[in-house]
Amino acid sequence: MDVVSTINTDTWVDQHGDALFRFAFFRTRDHVIAEDLVQETFLAALQSKERFKGQSSEKTWLFSILKHKIIDHFRKNKPDRFRNQISQDDHSTKTYFNSTGGWRIHPGDWRTDPGKAQEIKEFLDHFYRCLAALPKRNADAFVYREIDGLNTEEICKLLGITATNCWVILYRARMLLRRCLELAGFNPPNEGLPK
Amino acid sequence: MKHWMFSCEEVSQKVSQSMDVRLPFHHRMAIRTHLLMCRYCARFRRQLNLLRKMSRHDDSGILTPDSPSQLPQESRERIKKSLRNLP
Repeated sequence: MDVVSTINTDTWVDQHGDALFRFAFFRTRDHVIAEDLVQETFLAALQSKERFKGQSSEKTWLFSILKHKIIDHFRKNKPDRFRNQISQDDHSTKTYFNSTGGWRIHPGDWRTDPGKAQEIKEFLDHFYRCLAALPKRNADAFVYREIDGLNTEEICKLLGITATNCWVILYRARMLLRRCLELAGFNPPNEGLPK
Repeated sequence: MKHWMFSCEEVSQKVSQSMDVRLPFHHRMAIRTHLLMCRYCARFRRQLNLLRKMSRHDDSGILTPDSPSQLPQESRERIKKSLRNLP
């Protein structure tokens, strides 16, 4: 059954527009950018409708497209402080460990487990910028795995890599991402310094 | 800091991998033992779980005082028009 070809695009916008817009605004903090991203999302969805086979709900599908658009948006922006933070000393995950495999840069105590709307907002503010600052391959793998919820087999196919390679890429993505968030402020100032 | 058979570096790799595939029993046991004794690796795991939770977080229904609740009417019409004009 072709779900999407029967869609009335007007109803579509009425049904999902507000939620998509709020989501995009939550992360970009900019009306104009959020609107553009929502429009791009609907256009991309229409153009790729044959790839949507009704495995997920229409809403999930649209949000998945929007999330990719948001990350693309941040990636297109000039290198910001997040990218500088990551690139300076974190080229290799070896940076974090000493020669015997112990932590050299200790993971900080984030304390926050974002539960309230305000905390989530702050977290996501940094989250998407950090994600966009990752090397593209690592960011792509992370988005496929964590945001789209694909399994490693599907990711291997998409990126044309082996399973082992996929785990290495995901590991590096997670290391860089949590380090970037930590540098962005999810850490008390005196912790996490090399010892 | 080295606990049992895995170093912190190895545990961090295994913790990450365990989010993507089910690890063999003895690996899971070794990790669990290490995590009980090593607060940094325990933090690391909590943080990776938080990354996953936030990646899948749907806050489209959450309203904050400084956030708009609706797509402005004007842009709604603009978007509808652009979709109609699509070949």
